[in-house]
Amino acid sequence: MSLPPTSVLIQVAIGGLLTGGVYALLVSGLTLIFGVMRVINIAHGAFLVLSAYLAYWLFTLLGMDPIVSIAVLAPLFFVFGVLVQRYLIARVRQEPGLLVLVTFALAITLEGVMGSLWRTTGRSVRTAYTGEVVPLALGDLTVRLPIVQLVGFAAAVIALGVLYLLLTRSDLGRAIRATIQNPDAAQLVGVNVALVRALTFGAALASVAAGGAVFSLIWTFNASSHEAWISKMLSIVVLGGMGSLPGALVGALIIGVAEAVAAVTITTYLSPIVSYLILFFILVFRPQGLLGSRIREA
Amino acid sequence: MRRWHLLMAGMVILFLLMTTYLNAAPAGPPIRIGASLPLTGRFSEPGTAAKRGYEVWVKIVNDTGGMLGRPVQLTVLDNASVQRTAVADYERLITVDKVDLVVGPFSSFLVIPTSEVAARYGYAFVEPAGGAPGVFNRGLRNVFFAQPASGDKQADPFAKYILSLPADVRPKTYAVVSQDDPFALGVVERMKALLTAYGKIKLVLDEVYPADLTDFRAIATKIAALNPDLIVGGTILEDSIAQIRAYREAGYQPRGAFFTTGPSLPKPFREGLGRATEGVFASMSWFAGSKDYQNAEFVAKYVEMFGGTPDDIEEDSANAFTVGQVLQQAVEKLKSIDNKQLIEELHRGTYRTVVGPLSFDAVGRPKGGFMLLQWRGPKFLIVWPSNRAEGKPVWPKPRW
Repeated sequence: MSLPPTSVLIQVAIGGLLTGGVYALLVSGLTLIFGVMRVINIAHGAFLVLSAYLAYWLFTLLGMDPIVSIAVLAPLFFVFGVLVQRYLIARVRQEPGLLVLVTFALAITLEGVMGSLWRTTGRSVRTAYTGEVVPLALGDLTVRLPIVQLVGFAAAVIALGVLYLLLTRSDLGRAIRATIQNPDAAQLVGVNVALVRALTFGAALASVAAGGAVFSLIWTFNASSHEAWISKMLSIVVLGGMGSLPGALVGALIIGVAEAVAAVTITTYLSPIVSYLILFFILVFRPQGLLGSRIREA
Repeated sequence: MRRWHLLMAGMVILFLLMTTYLNAAPAGPPIRIGASLPLTGRFSEPGTAAKRGYEVWVKIVNDTGGMLGRPVQLTVLDNASVQRTAVADYERLITVDKVDLVVGPFSSFLVIPTSEVAARYGYAFVEPAGGAPGVFNRGLRNVFFAQPASGDKQADPFAKYILSLPADVRPKTYAVVSQDDPFALGVVERMKALLTAYGKIKLVLDEVYPADLTDFRAIATKIAALNPDLIVGGTILEDSIAQIRAYREAGYQPRGAFFTTGPSLPKPFREGLGRATEGVFASMSWFAGSKDYQNAEFVAKYVEMFGGTPDDIEEDSANAFTVGQVLQQAVEKLKSIDNKQLIEELHRGTYRTVVGPLSFDAVGRPKGGFMLLQWRGPKFLIVWPSNRAEGKPVWPKPRW
């Protein structure tokens, strides 16, 4: 283990922050679904990869930039999410253990479908700006900011901003937050909890659709990529506090930076493991996560 | 009216006779060839690819007059990737079905026990995919491995090329970034041995990453700061694309770049990188665009029989086709299918194949080597060895 020069550390940490911003978008739906439904959606990674494939398709067949394709994919996934919640999740809601299995089944079904549609070759979108960078002068140091990461980060900030406004400024948002706090009380004051759950699942999938489009710009993927990503996404959500959107943001930034710094200070071999190590320690010392609250079981 | 019919019939007969004569259709009892392949179980994918390679070879042979003028008939049994079954299959092919010749299964795991069955009955055993040391260290004389060289030797042509560069342009430093994969690590270990031990080129960074790593931006930043002259990637495909993208973003412009697999899968590699493929090196035993003996026929016939495009053809199919080529040339030269003579001939001769000329040492190890290819514009060209080269290697590589 040898410490790289400070310039490398600064560059890598900034890159990690940009990555972390995108991670936040990827996990926002996951934490929302848990908050409202107490469901760990194992299929979230598969939905992410599915969206990435569709963005890849729109790009390859129609030349549509993945960022533009969010306008197509987010509404599509919203409808898909509402249907999945209504006809799959809602039916087995009474059995929490079974629910995890249902989402797991959904994940492997999606993997199978994607594998047969797109085979096992790794894909990623290559736009005109892929590989290009924007130099940013910080005193003597010039930091190279890859355009795909900047674009991804910006898209993530906008998408998360929309989600935040939806949660804080709209009636639906208030209903969602009420359901997160106490579903029974929400029902008593007239919130249609079943509808809220369906719409939340839709919104969560719309956010992961945006995440998938951004993903296709930044990383390569194939049908089985979702396994590694759902593990990382769960680590982030648990670190931030399950069900907490600000927690997910904080967790995402921490893991983004920690992975990148570990790769250059320890070894690349450890980089993907960092998120699991953090997960382990948070479960031992602060099981509710950084910004989460302990769930009170009635 | 009747006369007109007669004339037509006569013309048809004449036409049939002509086509028969021109095609010189094989005649006489068929030469029967047996193989047991893993068509199910864990080797089912490469096993099926090998079967296709054999079938394309049989089709081409029979369409062009057969072997020694006789048609070739292939019997393929499925051994389910199980050693016991494979051994029993070859016993059956030789003693019950009494095939004239046998060809090998896929992978060293099955080649090792089955080649002993063939040896016991004195059968020549040309095989497409068993290159492990265990295949060659049993003193068998009937085994012939129909690939240019064992896997780790993919490092050789590039290392030799680097060491052949004049001292003033030869790289002084290099970095290795490899996936934790037995094949990739085998190649980079040999590369390190050659470059460091013989070339005294300094290894400035040696990184191994797990298969699920998708982001190389951090490590690329570190490498850019070290700025080695040469980068060696132990990659499968996705990671070669992700690595090169990250190096570009980090502003790292090496003077030479070699990746184990990735560049050698032209379609997805070019799709993922576009012009950033420029000047990247890799080694191969076979590729669809090769101009080697009968390769164009092999590729065309494969696509005709199994659909898809030339880029869909797997190396395993080409390796099985190579087995057929070697066998056919040895038999034609001997004008006999006597296995005893065949084994002697296979030790003597050099055979033209889709992976280049092949000859074998006393234990059946191929004496050839891999080709070195370099990306030039939209094409992946052979640049070494010089007798097969389509162009000269470019050094230092252009920017990516």
